[in-house]
Amino acid sequence: MTEKLTKVSFSNLDKILYPKLKITKAQFIEYYIKIAPKLLPFLAERPLVLTRYPNGVDKEGFYEKDAPQGMPNWVKTVKLYSETAKRNVNYILCNDLDTLIWLANLVAIEIHMPLSRLDAREKPDFAFFDIDPEPPATYEDASTVALSVKEKLDQLGLKSYVKTSGKKGLHVLIPILREPTFKETRAFVHQIGQQLAKELEIVVSEFIDTKKPNKVFVDYTQNSHGRTMVCPYSLRVTPEATVSTPLDWSDVKKKIKPAEFTIFSVPSLKKDPWKDIFENRQKLEVK
Amino acid sequence: MEKKTNRAKKQEVVETEKTVENEEKASAPRRPIWTGSITIGLINVPVKLYAMIYDRGVRFHFLHKLDNQPLRYQKVCTKDEKIVPWPEVVKGYEVSKNEFVIFGKEELEAAKPESDKRIRIDKFVDYFSVDPVYFSSSYVLMPDKNNDAYSLLLQSLEKMGKAGAGRITLRTKEYPVLVHAYKGALVLTTLRYSYDVADLSGFEELKELKAPEKAELELAKKIITDLSGEFDITAYKDTYRQKVEKTIKKRLKGEAIIVEKPPKEEVKGLMVALRETLKQLEKK
Repeated sequence: MTEKLTKVSFSNLDKILYPKLKITKAQFIEYYIKIAPKLLPFLAERPLVLTRYPNGVDKEGFYEKDAPQGMPNWVKTVKLYSETAKRNVNYILCNDLDTLIWLANLVAIEIHMPLSRLDAREKPDFAFFDIDPEPPATYEDASTVALSVKEKLDQLGLKSYVKTSGKKGLHVLIPILREPTFKETRAFVHQIGQQLAKELEIVVSEFIDTKKPNKVFVDYTQNSHGRTMVCPYSLRVTPEATVSTPLDWSDVKKKIKPAEFTIFSVPSLKKDPWKDIFENRQKLEVK
Repeated sequence: MEKKTNRAKKQEVVETEKTVENEEKASAPRRPIWTGSITIGLINVPVKLYAMIYDRGVRFHFLHKLDNQPLRYQKVCTKDEKIVPWPEVVKGYEVSKNEFVIFGKEELEAAKPESDKRIRIDKFVDYFSVDPVYFSSSYVLMPDKNNDAYSLLLQSLEKMGKAGAGRITLRTKEYPVLVHAYKGALVLTTLRYSYDVADLSGFEELKELKAPEKAELELAKKIITDLSGEFDITAYKDTYRQKVEKTIKKRLKGEAIIVEKPPKEEVKGLMVALRETLKQLEKK
C-alpha cells in the first residue's frame, strides 16, 4: 500500500499534452511538483486565473476564473466581483502544494496572478513592466529595452527583477511596500516608459502604439486592479513547453534565448535569481 | 496506516447503503434527451422527451483474480493476436462468412436518416391492439412551451383508449413509435421493426397442436377466472439483486476488496518528485 503523499488522485496520466514534444500529462504534473517550492510563494493569497487545455495545447483551451464544479472541499476559493466578467466569481486560491497538484491534474497549463494580494487588493506588491516586442522586433530587442529599464530603476535606487514571459517578451518587476495604489504604480511605470520612448527609437510607451511593427511596447496597463501577470515558473501554451523563467540580469546581457527555458530545463536550474525578492520590498516614491 | 484503511472501509459502507436506498425509487431525470414536436397532419404539439426506463439489475465488474485489478477490453486482431488501436479500426458488413464490405465513415454518415425534430403520427390505433412483443423502450413526453395542445391530446387519447402510431428519429436511427397516455402523461414507446421479431410459423411444434376437448377448455377457463386479479408490478421483487446486496453489506463490514490505484510507472515517477518537493518545503 502506498503512503498518501497527496490528496489528489491523478487521471489520464498518459495523455499527450504537448504533441510536438510528446510531453505527457504525467511529465506536466511532475514539472509543477518539482517547481512548487519556488512557485508557491508567489501564488499565496492571490485569486488566480488559469488557462486550461484539457486535451493538449494544440486543442481548444479556455480561461478559467471560476472554480470548477465538483472540486474537492479542501480547495480554498474566494468570491469576488470581477470587473471584466461583471459578476461575482469564485476564484481559486493556491496556498499549498496539494492545490497546485490539483490544478496541474486539471491541466491548468498557465497560472496567472494578480499583482496584489487578497488583504489589500488595491495596493500592489509589485510594479510591473511588460516588455513586449512586436515583430519583426525580437527578443533581443526586448532584452535591450529591459536592460534600459533596469538602468533607469538603478538610477532611482530601485532593485528590479527580470523574467522571460515564456513567449517573446520580458517582464521586469519591482517588489514594493504596499503603499501606493495601482493608479500610482501604473503612472510610475508609464512615466519610465515615456522617458525610454524619448531616448530609444524602438520603444513605444502609449497604449495606442501596442501593435506597431518593429517596436517594443513597455506596457504599463497591467498595473491595474483585476489584471493579472503570468506567474514566475508558469508553463506557457507554446509547442515547445516554454516557461516564464526568472533570470539574472547577466543572463539578459548574455542574450540567452528564452526557448532554452522549458519544462525540461527549468526544474534543474541550480540558481534561483528571484530567491530574495520578498525580502527586498522597496518604498516606491510616487509623485 | 492500518487505521486509515479501516476508516476508508467504513466510509464505503455508509455510501453503499445510501446508494442502495436510492436505487429503490427511480428519480425523475433532469434533462430532456430530445426536443421537438408531435405532428398530426397540420397540428403541432411541442414536446420534450425524457428517459423513463432504467436497467437496474445487478452489475459486476471483471477483476483479475491474482491482484483484484479491474479488467478492460481490447480489440485484438484475429490473425496475429495483436492489440489494434482505434485509428486502425474500420467497419465491415459481413456479406458471407469471412467476406466483408468495408464502409467508410462518410458512406455510413450519408445513409443515416436526418433528425427532423418531429414525431410524425400517421394514424390512431387501439393501444391494446399492439402486442407488447413489439415494444422496445419507453420515454416520457413533457409539454414544451404550450400546455394546451399537450393536454388536449393526452385527454383525448386517455378517453378513447387510443394511441398514435408513427415515427421518430432519435440520434441516427428511425423508429416506429406509439404515443399513448400513461399515468397522466404522454408516453412514447419505440417499437421493434417486424423483421426483428421472429416469424413463428417456422416452428413445427405449433402445427402439431391439437384442439382441446370442450370440457377441458371449460375447466381451464374456470381456473383462470378464479385466479384473475389486478396486475401489480410491485409485487414482483428482484430477489437475486436483494440477495447480492445483502451479501455486499455483510462483506463490507468484514473483508471487502478495496481496489488500489494501479501503481503505474507514471504515478511512481510523480511520487518520487513529490517526496523530494515535500522534503524541500519542509526545510523552508
